[in-house]
Amino acid sequence: MQPFKITCNQYNIAYYCTRYQCLNGNSQKLAFRYIGHKGDSCDYSFEDLDGQSNRYANLLTQLGIKKGDIVFTFLPKMPEQFFAFLGILKTQAVAGTLYSNFGEEALADRLGDSRAVAVITKKSLLKKLMRALPQLEHLKYILVVDGTENDEKALALPPMLSNASDKFEVSVTGPDAPSVLHYTSGSTGKPKGVQHVHKSILTQSYTAQHVLNLQDEDFYWCTADQGWVTGTSYGIIGPWALGVSQLHYGGAYNAETWMELLENEGITKWYTAPTALRMLMREDKKIFKRFSLNKLHYIFSVGEPLNPEINLWAAEVLGKEVYDTWFQTETGSIMICNRPGIKIKPGSMGRPIDIIEAAILSEGGRPCPVGETGHLCIKTPWDSMLTAYLNNEAAFNEKIKNGYYYTGDMAFCDEEGYYHFVGRNDDVINTAGHLISPFEVESTLLEIPEIAESAVIGAPDELLFEKVVAFIRLKDHVVWTDDLELKIRIFLSNRLSSIATPQDIRLIEEVPKNKSGKIMRRVLKAWYMGEDPGDISTMDI
Amino acid sequence: MMNTFEQLNAIFCKVFYDDDIKITRETTSEDVDGWDSLSHLNLVVSVEKHFGIKFNDAEIAKWKNVGELMDSLEQLIQQKQH
Repeated sequence: MQPFKITCNQYNIAYYCTRYQCLNGNSQKLAFRYIGHKGDSCDYSFEDLDGQSNRYANLLTQLGIKKGDIVFTFLPKMPEQFFAFLGILKTQAVAGTLYSNFGEEALADRLGDSRAVAVITKKSLLKKLMRALPQLEHLKYILVVDGTENDEKALALPPMLSNASDKFEVSVTGPDAPSVLHYTSGSTGKPKGVQHVHKSILTQSYTAQHVLNLQDEDFYWCTADQGWVTGTSYGIIGPWALGVSQLHYGGAYNAETWMELLENEGITKWYTAPTALRMLMREDKKIFKRFSLNKLHYIFSVGEPLNPEINLWAAEVLGKEVYDTWFQTETGSIMICNRPGIKIKPGSMGRPIDIIEAAILSEGGRPCPVGETGHLCIKTPWDSMLTAYLNNEAAFNEKIKNGYYYTGDMAFCDEEGYYHFVGRNDDVINTAGHLISPFEVESTLLEIPEIAESAVIGAPDELLFEKVVAFIRLKDHVVWTDDLELKIRIFLSNRLSSIATPQDIRLIEEVPKNKSGKIMRRVLKAWYMGEDPGDISTMDI
Repeated sequence: MMNTFEQLNAIFCKVFYDDDIKITRETTSEDVDGWDSLSHLNLVVSVEKHFGIKFNDAEIAKWKNVGELMDSLEQLIQQKQH
């Protein structure tokens, strides 16, 4: 396969994923096969992808959306997700994506902070969006992909799209023009908008080719939702920049269905998550004997550390190795990985890709010796790195110091140059590959009238890597009941998302805080794990 | 008074925060936004509490649609009455 190359100073991501492919002989090649949860299937060529995304670009332009405006998709995995995302980028507006499981508070935080001017969604998600609407003063348009008629708040897309031209000339877009926006959680404050630029396509296509090993003839499946960075970097940009055909499946996890898809569709490269692989590990091994995966060359995973047991299981049951990859929303593409061509070291993150420089730095910013744990950092700049946390320069400056991006992960490097994840240096919870802010969950818990105080931590979990655990103090005279617990769970599920809902809720007499009022999550975690909490001299008793 | 299916529908509306949900026996998790493996637990516990029954874990894992959930529920309600 030819390496990806920029032509005529055009950096526009959507141009390379669509028009460029058509101009290079791929117009009739399959861009993606969409299979819905009921098994319904539809194929789209690169010409289709180009034409459909052009319709979105024309419509958005007619509505007055212009370069630099922020437009979100709030959709599950469906063809319109891809057309809309690429259409937004073609206009040089910024394409944000929202996980379709987000509740009204999660939506209000993200759409409000970004001052988004439009959201593209579907009818069944409108209610959640409408509940957030009073807080969204900048939002001009709600565009509904399956809408049938306009009302005062939402416009039906199908009739408007059918009148829009399928031709659109993408203006020359510079390397540093803002492109994709994803929100990520920190341990303090609201979620932060991670801004990327169009030249990220260079690193995304490089890693798609040299790490995921994508080739012209591949049929590739990335299971990530487009609400997360993996879903855009490797479910859209990387593979389509290379003209690779993809499967997009709109259904949920089901072991037999997934195995059928891998076999029947002849998937050759598969990118998934450790939690999904751990769920497969729990299934009866007999299931896997019914399927032949001889077309599948490689399995890759991302999201959380891949435990060595998964590699042992995959070798025995699937007859395959699993290559673990590491990256973050902020890095925009894979940075450190196990990959074909180098020996897998089970349990390690792998080695840095050739085009970046990783380092383990001490508290004082000096390189740590081999085997010593320190801050995992990436030397700046690289093409897919974040360029800003939207409206939050202070947070950005905290992460970039002396020419290094501090990832927030603690790790060490061994004598063979493999990196090993040790933990986070903050309180962010990684549950099934999704980062959850304890602050966000704590704040939402406090909206429940019965709760006086709350604190949230992440605790190790065999399936999810980490689970969300909440400690709450009830207001005086409130009695803890099963009904109240259920009420809390349902409230969090609908206000934030089901993934942010605690797996375990514990009552506590008082939330431990230091003398300046900061929640001492480290102490709670030690209590929860039955460990010594260590120095508690700063605790306000 | 609401029949069992109507009561079940009301529980769906409460759990998924949407008064317009209209379930049928053929409804699956793919048809209701937000019905995933995590929120499924909220649904199961809500049904158990409302009807005063307890599902068997193996049974829960086998449900493919609302109809199968309903069959399990009716069986447990009958057992409770006898």
